[in-house]
Formats: sequence, structure tokens, C-alpha cells
Amino acid sequence: MSFSSRPVFGLVALAVSWLTVTDVQAKFFVSLEEALKLAFPGCTTAAETRYLTDAQVAKVRELSNGEISSAMVVRYRATCKEKTAGFAYTDTHRVRTHPETLLFIVGSSGILKKIEMLSFDEPQDYIPKSEWYNQFKDQPLSNELELKRKIPPVTGASLTARATTQAARRVLAIDQVLGKETR
Amino acid sequence: MNKLCVMASLALGVSTFTITTSQAVESPASSVEELKRQMDILSNEVQKLKMGEAGAGVRADHSQYGFGPAASKVYRIEHGVSLGGYGEFLYQHFANSKHDGTTSGISDQITMMRAVLYTGYKFDENWLLNTELEVENGTTENNKGSVSIEFAYLDRLISPAFNARLGLLLLPMGLINELHEPTVYLGTQRPDVETVLIPATWADDGFGFFGDLGQVSYKQYFVAGLDASGFTDAGIREGRTGGAKTDASHWASVTRLDYTGIAGLLTGVSAYIGNASAEKPAAKGGGMKVPIGIYDFHVDWHHRGLQLRTVGVYSTLGKIGDLNNGRNLVGSQSVGDSQRGIYFEGGYDVLAGGTSTQALIPFLRWEYYDTQASVPQGFVRNDANLVRLLTAGVNYKPIDQIVLKADFRDYFLGDGTGVNQIGVAAGYVF
Repeated sequence: MSFSSRPVFGLVALAVSWLTVTDVQAKFFVSLEEALKLAFPGCTTAAETRYLTDAQVAKVRELSNGEISSAMVVRYRATCKEKTAGFAYTDTHRVRTHPETLLFIVGSSGILKKIEMLSFDEPQDYIPKSEWYNQFKDQPLSNELELKRKIPPVTGASLTARATTQAARRVLAIDQVLGKETR
Repeated sequence: MNKLCVMASLALGVSTFTITTSQAVESPASSVEELKRQMDILSNEVQKLKMGEAGAGVRADHSQYGFGPAASKVYRIEHGVSLGGYGEFLYQHFANSKHDGTTSGISDQITMMRAVLYTGYKFDENWLLNTELEVENGTTENNKGSVSIEFAYLDRLISPAFNARLGLLLLPMGLINELHEPTVYLGTQRPDVETVLIPATWADDGFGFFGDLGQVSYKQYFVAGLDASGFTDAGIREGRTGGAKTDASHWASVTRLDYTGIAGLLTGVSAYIGNASAEKPAAKGGGMKVPIGIYDFHVDWHHRGLQLRTVGVYSTLGKIGDLNNGRNLVGSQSVGDSQRGIYFEGGYDVLAGGTSTQALIPFLRWEYYDTQASVPQGFVRNDANLVRLLTAGVNYKPIDQIVLKADFRDYFLGDGTGVNQIGVAAGYVF
């Protein structure tokens, strides 16, 4: 179990990684533009702004069982072959003391298709693994879309899990309320 | 300053909007279009302001979205200081008598067990600092408490799959050592198996690499070795150096692999392999090194309101006979040359089915550990080091960041000298 010489190799590797990768940008998050292209390949996306009425805001609160911070909603409509393929919504919310911004891809039938992280200002140790985010795929807005129901909590990232689940419910509620007007 | 600039821009936009509105009388159709265009610009500006850092990624097609070319500096990536922390209060009532009927003689106790401040600094996209400053038991006066840097490291972020870390590192072993905030674990106190055998909270100076490879994540650290002068029959806990003037002549490798391919499940293994240094009287040959290996497996599973976890630890130490002789340890004072333990824990959030964000989690935890699973020839075991501990209690979280706890701990030591405890605790994180 002699171990005294091994750290030298590790130290060399550490130095190499620090010194030779200086021009590489850490690539943890995609931009909004990249995320939209990945979510809707071959489609065009256009931003559209919707202003919720008081009644719509109340409906979103009721459906999501949560709060909505603004009546102004900017969403991105994806159009493929002259048909609406779905919408993308950004949601910025506080995790612990700092915010994260998530992009929610919602199919034309109001089903959540994907969550993409655009920014996360907390330590990255608080980011759940990708498999956890995959739990949201194909989820409609229902009572099951809650922590400790369909969505398991994440040890060590409970606040992120809570914030993400609430945001998913909020976005699906907004999509449901707006969907009746625009589709 | 940046926000002021944006607000000024918005004010300018609103004033333009107003002027344009007043001119709209002459051409209603075109003014409606112009109003719509300006509203779109304003809403996009507000949206980017809401998105903050992520707004920097907005590179919308100019002609399609009508964004102004000057997205302005306010949307640049923000850097700087981040603060967080946690704390725990603990009240303990000890039984008057031990399991064998003799008097325990332990008074009840209340303490501000931990008050911790996390401070981080994001230098840029590639470099960040993370630190934890901890005050234990309220004060350092009369040697009642302590102030320690629990960890302080620099991260070089390269890619999700490969990053580098340097500094005073929390060793990636078990489930508690890296995630030890009061809202994370059940019970008023951390599991003994993870504080005695691993021994959490355990940090050492060193460096290493970490990353995610899809469903598997890894950490590989190299850290300065333990101080075997602190090893006792009760384990290696007193051999922690806390990163303070650690003897750097002996090092250890710490490897951790975790599988997270199933949502709600975290399972993995860790291995600490290296040498501890020990001072030895010059008459007995001076300093020596003690080979040590600590291995654990860990499983943490959440399904709806149910949460289950188990951790098993096995340790093997070499040259313990020499260490005992060098430190004049005799009989049952011997350091164990193998140590082992395991615990199983299960809890269920009885509020999980409702719409409440509160949690009420009754739980049970059973632990078994032995810090003298074997001793060198010529020494004997102390039965008091074989512990069976049953903890039954409840965690209540009115919100995610605050927890109130109560539990009963039935300590059964091999020699019958265990003292049962009732604990009440409160904890917070921010």
C-alpha cells in the first residue's frame, strides 16, 4: 500500500489541465438560441409576447398551485412546415440565494417535452443529474407533477428540485391558459 | 449601475412610446403596428432583465425578433460573491442509568452545535472559490467550542466531464461527509457509522479531479494522510488533521464513483487508500507510516414519500502492532486493525400526498459498528467498541430550509455501558 509517489503524477496532471486548457470556455449551459435549435430542429422560432389578464393570472395560480411573478409572458413559438410544433418558455427563479433560468419545451398538445438549463448561479453541486430532469419528459400538468409524487426529491439539491418542479407547473399552467387563445 | 442603465433605457422607450402614441391620431393603422413593435421591444428588454445571466445567451435573429443591437452590458454574465450557511441547535437528555443499571452521571446538555457560513466567489466562467467557515458549540472560550475552515477550494471548471479542484477538500466518502446540512439527514445527529468510521466531517489538503459522465459521476482526489498519533481504540476520528500543518510526507488517494441512472436513486462506492503518519519516540525508531484503507458503499433512494439509505464501511489498518508499541498502548487500548459498520435508515413523509410543501418524516435507523473488529496479536478487544444503535424519531420541515427534529437513541454497547438519549434539535440552511 505504498502511496508516497502517486500524488506526483496527479499533481502533474492537475498542472497540465490548469495550464493547457486556459483558452477553453467552460461549456455547462447552452444559450437560448442553441437550446431552441436543439429542441425544434429544422423549425423556425419566433418570440411572441402575451399579457395575461387578471383572470388568467388567477387561473395560472389555481392550476399550478403556485405563484406567478409577472403577467407578461414571452414565449417562443416553433413553426415546422407552417404548423405550430410547440412553444418554449423561460422561467427565472431563485434557488437558494441565487437564480437559475430554465427553458421549458412544451409540445403543441401542452405536454412538457424537455427542460434545458440556461443559467445556474448557485454552486454547481446543487444541480441535479440529467436523469432527474428526464422525469419531466412527457408530463402533463396534473396532480402527479409534484415532488414526492412523480418527481423524486434530490438529496443535496432539494431546493433546486423544488424550484424546478414549481416552475414546470407554472409554465404548463401558463401554456394551458394561453393555449386556448392561440392554438 | 447596469440596472440603472436598463431602467433608463426602458424609461426612454416608454417616453418614445408615449410620443408615438400622441402622434398616432394622424395614422391609426400604422400607429397600431408601431405600438406593437415598440411593445415587443420593451417586452424583450424586460424579459432579458428577468433572465439576468441567461439573458446574455439571447442571440435572437435581429430581423425576426426586432431586438436592438445594443443588448447592453447589463446582460453580461454576473460574477462575484455568494453567501450561504446553515446552523443547528441541539438539546440532549441522557438516561440516568446505563444499560447495565449503573449510574450514567451525564447531565442534560443544550448547545448551538454548529453555525456555518458558506462564502463563494466566482472569478469568471472557469474559476470559482468555495469555502465553509464553521463555529462549533458557540464559542472558543474555555475550550468549549472551535472555529474551523471545513473546506476551502478552488475549482477549475473545464467541462462537465472533467474539472480540477485544489485546496482543503471534503473527502468524497459516504453520504454525510459532503452533504451534512441539517435539512439533509434524518435525526438530531448524524449517523455514527459516518462520523466514527469515515469520519465525517472529514477534510484534508489536496487536489483532484471530478466530473459527470452521463449516468456515472466520479471524484478522484489526492490528499495528505491522516495523523495516526490520534488513532484510538474508538476509531480514527481523532486522526483528522483538518488541514492544519498536516504532515505531507504521506498521501492518500480517494476515489468515488456514483451511479445516478435512475431518478431518485444514488448508489456508489468510495475508497480511501494511503498512509497515515505517526510520531514515535526517537528511542523507538522515530516517525512511522501506517497503511490505511477505508472502503464504503452507499445507497440513497427516494420514491414518492419514501426515503431509504444505507451505508457500509470497512477499514483496514496496517502496522498497528508497531503503532501500539510506539505509543505505549496496551491490552484493550489497541487501535483496531480492522473496523467495520453499516446502517439502514428509512423514513416516510406522511405529508407527501398532499399539496403542502411541508414535510413530516417519521424514521427509523439501525446502526452496527465495531472499531475493533480485529486487533493485533497480543492485544484484546474492548467490548464497549461494538455498538448497536437504534434511532427512532421525526423530522418536521415547515419549509424546505428549516427543520425541527426529535428522536430517541437506544445505545447498546457490547459491555452494557450504553446510555440512551433523547434529542431535540432545530436546523436551518440559507
